[in-house]
Amino acid sequence: MKITFPYWGNYTVAFELLAKKLNLEVVPPERTTPRTIEKGTKIAPEMYCFPLKVNLGNFLEAIERGADTIVMPTALGGSCRLRYYPFVQEKVLKEDGKEVNFVIFDQSLDIFSKLKKISGANFLKMLGATIFTLKVLNIIEKLEKKAQYLRPREIEKGDTDRILISTFKKLREVEKFSELLKFEKEVLKELNQIRIERKEVPKVGIVGEIYTVTDHAINFEIEKKLGNLGIEVHREMSLLYHLKKKIFFTDFFIQRKVKPYLGSTVGGHGRDAIYEMLKYVKEGFDGVIQLLPAYCMPESSVRPILEKIHQETGIPFLSLSLDEQVAEAGIDTRIEAFVDVVKNYHKNKHRTPNI
Amino acid sequence: MKTYLGIDIGSLTIKFVLIDEKANVLYWTYERTGGRPIEAIQKGMKKLKDWIEKHNPQIEIAGVGTTGSARYLAGVIVGADLIKNEITAHAKGAAFFVPDVRTVIDIGGQDSKIIILENGVAVDFAMNYLCAAGTGSFLDAQAFRLGIPIEKFGELALKSKNPTTIASRCTVFCESDMIHKQQIGHKIEDIVAGLCQGLVRNYLANVAKGKKILPPILFVGGVSENVGMRWAFEKALGQEIIVPKYNKVTGAFGVALLVKENPPQKTKFRGFEISDMDIKCDSFQCKGCPNQCEVIEAKINGKIIARWGDRCGRWSNLKYE
Repeated sequence: MKITFPYWGNYTVAFELLAKKLNLEVVPPERTTPRTIEKGTKIAPEMYCFPLKVNLGNFLEAIERGADTIVMPTALGGSCRLRYYPFVQEKVLKEDGKEVNFVIFDQSLDIFSKLKKISGANFLKMLGATIFTLKVLNIIEKLEKKAQYLRPREIEKGDTDRILISTFKKLREVEKFSELLKFEKEVLKELNQIRIERKEVPKVGIVGEIYTVTDHAINFEIEKKLGNLGIEVHREMSLLYHLKKKIFFTDFFIQRKVKPYLGSTVGGHGRDAIYEMLKYVKEGFDGVIQLLPAYCMPESSVRPILEKIHQETGIPFLSLSLDEQVAEAGIDTRIEAFVDVVKNYHKNKHRTPNI
Repeated sequence: MKTYLGIDIGSLTIKFVLIDEKANVLYWTYERTGGRPIEAIQKGMKKLKDWIEKHNPQIEIAGVGTTGSARYLAGVIVGADLIKNEITAHAKGAAFFVPDVRTVIDIGGQDSKIIILENGVAVDFAMNYLCAAGTGSFLDAQAFRLGIPIEKFGELALKSKNPTTIASRCTVFCESDMIHKQQIGHKIEDIVAGLCQGLVRNYLANVAKGKKILPPILFVGGVSENVGMRWAFEKALGQEIIVPKYNKVTGAFGVALLVKENPPQKTKFRGFEISDMDIKCDSFQCKGCPNQCEVIEAKINGKIIARWGDRCGRWSNLKYE
């Protein structure tokens, strides 16, 4: 049995390591490319949201390379169409003549028995693998955060990304927990050696749907683009943030904060987008970008609310809807123009201090 | 005499603007690219060179800026000192004519934008996405179908006393509705006027959605030449619509102004010789990683001058002449 799973930005490495820890034979998904999306779109239902089509493309490419079992998460994000993804995808793949097993990874506890069935690992081993994966995720997110700070300040443009690319390649080879800790230390040391200019730069917060904001292959590497244009990017939404939220019932507090704008959940991470935008406004950011896949119900529901916050507070705001029809040139033009707006806002803010 | 050149190359047309140190427009052209941007640039440069030789041979190009959707290509070919997105360029150009402008409506060949300004700088903008209904190309196609020269299209709309309603959600429906209206016997000017109103409705609903449109409102871009569209905007917004001088070349003018404000030490301009050189663009697929980016390379007289289109910088970061 060879398992595969959807490509998800830098997190892909963590899932690959998890599967290896459980002694599963894994066909890691290749980075999503325009061709992947093309393949997925061809067989996917047109009106379905964008990530489903991308996932299908990933699966098709993995099946070509010998995968026969697909592990697909569902409903981890609350109530949005992600719940139907594995079922729709299974059906679509069957109709396309691909015979594959689906292991659906949901919130119920029987996921352990499912994993046990396919991997034969005992509870202790699973616990060990889970802790190991959480640490990998932690390192990935730490590196991403660090890069967001370094990119606009580095003196030799591109240094940060050059190190990151080789780092994630090396991370795939790590096997033991102790090696992982050593690896973390080394990478951070390497990143700290990048020559930077310590200066104040405009700050932009990214809000939106979790998959589009974290998968750089889908969002046209927006963080890198903004960073190279001299913008420090902040992003609250991440996989660990999401997991923590589930454990600590943060939704309750978020709901209280967004009450003036939204009285109830709209599914997915709709409320979080409002909460984060309000937070960025409070912290004196210079702009907010919302990323959403086309047809994403929760995010398109909150878009008018974000637009309202933007009009009330004057903070620059840009909403980018991504799907297979979107051309990178159009996105670039919008980002460049937005960066000009952000820089003007940043300059004027400092001219007239808030009293 | 020191001058600054702005080139705005969009989906359908190419605009050249030459300004002097006092921001006076010395020369401007507005021409169709015919889908061949490189040739259009070369032709435009040749024309500019002829004009300079004839009128004022002392003119020296001290800086070049490019904008529009082909700004990178144009920037590489002519050797631009500044490559700027069209939104910033239009905001700059519009604010020069009306310093307290609050709203700029720009409708070009394939995209339409709204820019909100405060104190002369853009604070917000929106562009059409998913659909190009209501832009120049569509008006062009309809004028051609009805056999009316595009220049006369607007005047015809003004003759209408009773504009008919045309569905305008999407150009395909819009066109079939127009045909339907003509088949049941509506007058052509009523249909044309209805089309203008429909396109404005579409613009306000899809591009300007939610944005506060405050006066003074400027209308620029190729479509602003169309008096029918001006009339329809005035009617829909209940405000005066100002069409500034050089409304068709605002973007090129804006980018020339931006270069003038931050003049380069020494311009990267390749000179007017490029109009006689052999310029070619080629593309290949990079096999370096699964991304397989399509890399484009520009050659002047067989020598590679630039490559772009890669995500990682493997090709674009190499040093070229």
